Amino acid sequence: MNASLLHRIWAHRHFYLFISPFFLLFAVFGLYPLMFSFYLSFVQWDGLTPMTWVGLGNFQNMFHDEILLTSLWNTLIIGLLYVPPMFIGAFVFALLLNSAWLRCRGLFRAAFFLPVVTPMVVVAIVFGLLYGQEMGLLNYLAVKLGFARIPWIVSEEWSKISVSVLLVWRWTGYNMVLMLAGLQGISNEYYEAARIDGANAIQRMWHITIPLMRPVFIFCSIMSLIGTVYMFDEVFVMTQGGPGTSTTNFGLYLFNVSFTDFKFGYASSMAYTIAFFVFLASLLILRLRKSGTE
Amino acid sequence: MLLNLVVMVVFCLPAGGAASSGQLLSEPSPGVRGDIQIWSWNIAAASLEKLIPSFQERYPGVRISIDMNGSSVQSRFMLSLSAGVGAPDLSQLQAREAPRYALTGKLTDLTAVARKYERAFAPSFWDSCVQDGRIYSIPWDIGPCAVYYKRSLFTKYGIDPEAIETWEDYVAAGKTLLERSNGQTKMLCLALGGLSDFFEILLQQSGGQIFDAEGRIALYSNETLESLTVIKKIMDAGINANIFPWSFEYFASFKSNSIATYPMASWFGGLMRDYAPDTSGDWGVFRLPAFRAGGLRNSNLGGSVLVIPAQSTQKEAAWAFAEYAMCTPQAQLDQYRDFDLYPALLSTHQDPFFDEPVPFFGGQKVRRLFSLDIDKIQTMNRTTDWMEAVRYIAQALSKWTAGEREAPEIVLAALEEKLSRRLNRPVAPGSPSGKGRP
Amino acid sequence: MMSRRTRQILLRLLTYVMLAALAALFLFPFYWLLISAFKAKDQIFALPPQWWPSPWRFVNFASTFEKTNIVRAFFNSTVIAAGHCTLALFLCSLAGFAFAKYPQAPGRDKLFAFVLATMMIPGAVTLIPVFVVLCKLHAVNTYWAMIVPGAASAFGIFWMRQYAAENIHNDLLDAARIDGCGEFTIYWRIVLPILRPALAALGILLVIGSWNNLMWAFIVLRTKNMFTLPLLIYLLNCENRTPFELIMAASLLATLPLVAAFLLFQRQFIQGITAGAIKG
Repeated sequence: MNASLLHRIWAHRHFYLFISPFFLLFAVFGLYPLMFSFYLSFVQWDGLTPMTWVGLGNFQNMFHDEILLTSLWNTLIIGLLYVPPMFIGAFVFALLLNSAWLRCRGLFRAAFFLPVVTPMVVVAIVFGLLYGQEMGLLNYLAVKLGFARIPWIVSEEWSKISVSVLLVWRWTGYNMVLMLAGLQGISNEYYEAARIDGANAIQRMWHITIPLMRPVFIFCSIMSLIGTVYMFDEVFVMTQGGPGTSTTNFGLYLFNVSFTDFKFGYASSMAYTIAFFVFLASLLILRLRKSGTE
Repeated sequence: MLLNLVVMVVFCLPAGGAASSGQLLSEPSPGVRGDIQIWSWNIAAASLEKLIPSFQERYPGVRISIDMNGSSVQSRFMLSLSAGVGAPDLSQLQAREAPRYALTGKLTDLTAVARKYERAFAPSFWDSCVQDGRIYSIPWDIGPCAVYYKRSLFTKYGIDPEAIETWEDYVAAGKTLLERSNGQTKMLCLALGGLSDFFEILLQQSGGQIFDAEGRIALYSNETLESLTVIKKIMDAGINANIFPWSFEYFASFKSNSIATYPMASWFGGLMRDYAPDTSGDWGVFRLPAFRAGGLRNSNLGGSVLVIPAQSTQKEAAWAFAEYAMCTPQAQLDQYRDFDLYPALLSTHQDPFFDEPVPFFGGQKVRRLFSLDIDKIQTMNRTTDWMEAVRYIAQALSKWTAGEREAPEIVLAALEEKLSRRLNRPVAPGSPSGKGRP
Repeated sequence: MMSRRTRQILLRLLTYVMLAALAALFLFPFYWLLISAFKAKDQIFALPPQWWPSPWRFVNFASTFEKTNIVRAFFNSTVIAAGHCTLALFLCSLAGFAFAKYPQAPGRDKLFAFVLATMMIPGAVTLIPVFVVLCKLHAVNTYWAMIVPGAASAFGIFWMRQYAAENIHNDLLDAARIDGCGEFTIYWRIVLPILRPALAALGILLVIGSWNNLMWAFIVLRTKNMFTLPLLIYLLNCENRTPFELIMAASLLATLPLVAAFLLFQRQFIQGITAGAIKG
């Protein structure tokens, strides 16, 4: 038995040879860090001085950590602010780009998609310019049109909106392309059949397009969820999470705890805990897919 | 337990491999050679740059390059210390942060060469350079505070800077200004999210503390209350512009006529001269308003030190430059003249240079003005958590000022408790918030 | 009463106008970036704003080259993006092919399930340990620190396996074996060419990610000569005396390569982006 297993393994040595470079790197930069990070969640460590074992202390601290709770709240609010307009925009653009009569499709697609390939640091700087309180273009226009200056990134209320606007700009094209691919994957036969049954455009949309697009919507939702929780560059460059902590999402707070405060232990416990909840939330969203197709 | 130990052994191999913090034992000889890299920021960087030629007359073998760094310098410095690579040979640090870096054991122990300067600097400053009896940093400048004002605006709107003696007066003047300029000119920049500098100025002026001498939380005091009340009055009066400190708009405001005053430290003058040289002569300085008539009219903001990371391979050369720039009276006075870096070196303070008129400030003798009552400014109990505490407080205050601005007593009591939990430090027993009582 | 035809034309016209307006809105930041890169510092903040630089200051670029390490940063970014992409494509295609085409190898399914399971864990969890590992390996501040850690991508394997399973026929492999080809030769000569569309798609994703990566660069790149473009721009932006005209010029230079590449290879880019989603 044992010999035959070894024999079979030897017979497939190329398989193991071919996957070994991957697994070697994976062990060093994936698996070991995962274990290390798990261990770190039970210690206090700044990376330089000796570690102290604190047991579940890090996890208990999380409940009292007001900034953590605020950052999760901010993540939720920013998500609610930007995801719906982004989804609607992406879907409408995708529908339009999918219609046969539209000309200059490449041009429109490029316009909406270009933000995705632009370095985030550049985006954040340019938006920072536009949002300027006294000398920004947007406030110049606001004053010109007779409105008061809007405190885009200097007030706690507006800053989340301003970040959300940036996010809509940045990610609509990405979702649009995914949805476009989803739309193109829907076989024309469904529509033909519906047309014969006398379904009008709205009915076709409601009974064919939207149900068949559900997997794409779900994928987009999960990507947006993960993207919002771990967003970093956008707020790191443009607002540094401020004013106050109003635009500090979880990703930025995790970075600050890790690499500004150098609380490696606490950061690891937070990362693990939140990853767990994000995982749960993703499962929940996936369940929607199941319940929908049944 | 055993498993725990095994895991500890596996995971705790020292990162980076750089062993212990090297000690710097020998005095550099004039023949020392080397290329050193320095991290510094802003006008401080420019100031060091300007000292290079005179330094090289003494140490011709040392070449120096200076890197400017911005807001993320703390993270980058710590990352470099952790990784054992990338730290400069000599780095500027905020004096208030120095204790934290000294604790890492990744800074060069300067005791052998620096001990002789122990009496050359104010004891309150020297304290932050010492950790467990060893010296890890060397003082550079301090930041006595006053209010910079734009003369043309004050004249135009009929405000007498000499009449502003208390914060009460200051707010009243701000209202007058706002009214007479039809809202075009604000008294100062004070952004909701950018309160920490102003809060630190007020706190140290008032005599308030964040920690007591034992490192317990002692934020709640009548002095701190007074500080918050000033912020509240300014915000309530609406005489502040919501411009972030150090943003490009902030610097642009030097040239526009939208802001009339900047309550700031001595080094700020150097920034103004650098950013808005063509406004020379239009600036004046009046002493920091007191909390009540006759009260202290000075404070401190910032001030920095120099450190040599242990990973530096050019320690002698780095020390040679640090010693020249920080501990030679002429070099310190040069930096004050050219860049408004107020010398930490005590022996310079008697120099007649302090009584010279300064053209940028309309011929005013501002240096003497900054030096008044400098010895009455209290020492702050820094602790290693200082930066985190200030950041946390500033965030809480930002929330407070953005909202209904309830009574400062309520904010402070809540803040004290939260801070205690966050930093894992007890509240001082005498705190009026009552949280510290057994 | 409008005829059906007129109504349709009007509706389409309206759609065009709206789409064009929105497209213009989306393109506006690029326009602002472009003109700001050619303005003097004071003009960038001038009120009223300048909609068209006059004159076009090409000197901004000259001074960016002169005063910053941008040439080096450009080089670093290129090396890192190319290295990261090549390494990841090699690892993932090799392993993906193996997972797809050696069904009898003992433990194959378990190993693959394991790889899939790790896809669920976000990179944020391993940020600190990977940094510590790199410290121990003395690899901080090297190209390796940027190239290697993300290269063993579970997603990459998943995607390659999927494509290989669908598009490579066993007959072809068997024929090659009969001709005496070694297994690696088969991978190199036969499998890789077939995988090309998948490689292009994944490669584009990897390059976008690597070229624009700020956070990891901030953590592991420590000295000026190693900085990538995003890090260089970020740190310029951090300087107290912000040289804004340089930042805008550098930003434009950092943005152009991918934008140009996108405009040239729009189809491949779109495929790359959609690649992951369809099967996900």
